[in-house]
Amino acid sequence: MSRTKTPISDEAFIAGLKSGDSLILVALYKKYYNIVLKLVVGNSGTQESAEDIYQETIIVLYEAVQKPNFVLSCQLQTFIYSIAKRLWLKQLRKFGQVSLMREEEEEQLADVQTEMQEHLQKEADLERMNQSLTTLGEPCATLLNDFYVLKLSMETISEKFGYTNADTAKNQKYKCLQRLKKQFFETNSVEA
Amino acid sequence: MRSVDLFDGYLQGTLSTEEHKQFELRLKTDLVFEQAFEQHKTLVETLQNRAKQEVFKAQLKAIHTEAFGNDARVISIKQEGFFQRFGKTAFIAASTGLIAVITTVALLSAGGYLLKRQSNEITDLKREVVELKYSQNGIVSAFTSQPAPPRYAPANLEGSGFALNNNGFIITSWHTISDADSIFIENKFLERTLAKVMISDPKLDIAILKIETDTVYKNWNVPFAYATKPSDLGEKVFTLGFPRKEVVYGEGALSALSGHYNDTTMYQVSIPVNPGNSGGPVMNEQGNIIGMIRGKLSSAEGTSYAVKISDILNSINSSNTEGLNVNVSKKGLKNLKRVEQIKRINPYVFNIMVYKEN
Repeated sequence: MSRTKTPISDEAFIAGLKSGDSLILVALYKKYYNIVLKLVVGNSGTQESAEDIYQETIIVLYEAVQKPNFVLSCQLQTFIYSIAKRLWLKQLRKFGQVSLMREEEEEQLADVQTEMQEHLQKEADLERMNQSLTTLGEPCATLLNDFYVLKLSMETISEKFGYTNADTAKNQKYKCLQRLKKQFFETNSVEA
Repeated sequence: MRSVDLFDGYLQGTLSTEEHKQFELRLKTDLVFEQAFEQHKTLVETLQNRAKQEVFKAQLKAIHTEAFGNDARVISIKQEGFFQRFGKTAFIAASTGLIAVITTVALLSAGGYLLKRQSNEITDLKREVVELKYSQNGIVSAFTSQPAPPRYAPANLEGSGFALNNNGFIITSWHTISDADSIFIENKFLERTLAKVMISDPKLDIAILKIETDTVYKNWNVPFAYATKPSDLGEKVFTLGFPRKEVVYGEGALSALSGHYNDTTMYQVSIPVNPGNSGGPVMNEQGNIIGMIRGKLSSAEGTSYAVKISDILNSINSSNTEGLNVNVSKKGLKNLKRVEQIKRINPYVFNIMVYKEN
């Protein structure tokens, strides 16, 4: 069967992103890169910054569509452009550059305030988690990752770390988790 | 059974039907228990989200390379792989450098017409240093496609610089130190020592530093002289700098009398330079300084730019800074062989290390 040439609709992109369809992700990624590239490079950025901003944009979109109540209230292109613009403005401001961004002709912007706020909050949480894990050090960071992310069994973890048995590993995991909890909840958010 | 084990069991669905029921009942009736559970859930989910995002980011990187190639990344060694490790700080630092160029070029170009094209083409040559903890784990996880463990990445910048006179004054690139919180200099002959910024000239992209402790430079005898006459096309030139922790020699010829877009404050030199070379001295056959490495053209290998010494000296003289006198009548290293020249110069070329808070 030959592939159809019909362009993928916004709805199909959203559905594919939701379900984690990697072909859709690739198609989406290719389709909108140039818009963001133009935006960033046209406003004092480089190709590298454009790439990074674009990837963060896709992450924001990805996070947004995972929410059960997500509805795309404008064109996908407008949504992506608006997110990218907000992210790039934020970056420029961080360097103390007053925003000198040009307004494009017939530029359409969507209201992406909610998505941006949630994204920044999430980024801040993840950053705090990173810092907590760094402070925690080894073997705790790897042990917790093995258990909660890779879902390894206590027996496997026990062998891997050379503990006498699964109970020792479990005890160790408990101690590590308590420390992580303390770190994570008692460190104030570093940046918003 | 600890509460934590109950929480994990509930979240992983390994509790028996009876346990499950009891657990949910307790959640409804025991407020303290419920709060503890919510906290546990948040913690575990953040841990998992972090891993998920790391994987997703790697996936996006791969898609990008596949679809658009990797060309853009080749030049900027400083930015490699930052985002893979949540290196926000590093990303910002790297981009700051680019902004620095933009500012510089913006000041240089009155018309502003070529501004954007220029800024994308010249690559700054400060060296980005990222400390990697967990590097071993990083390698392991790259193979098993597990998310990389957290890495501590305070982005520091490094560049080169050289002594201007015997009073502890050192010149370097402005873009290397522009947003420094503290600056240290060092080389094989000098232990890491603190320096402060005396003059910033973003227009020429130069900055003058001074060593804080005077005992450090009390025995200095800066050997080189400054070329008083404009240099000629085709003159052989060389540089010393710190693209890595060790001083590196590079040579070439003066390939144009002006810089990018006919910028008359710069020479074009055919010395291959790398990030970290910024701020290094450019010398002619006589060992006289003709300029300072500024940057290179990202689109062409071996096309580097140096700020002319005449412009540097003008900037220095107009600043009227006490102690910042530069002896231009010196004989220099004229009759020495290259290796001898380098031996004399080496103690006065420094690795500039920039630390930033954040």
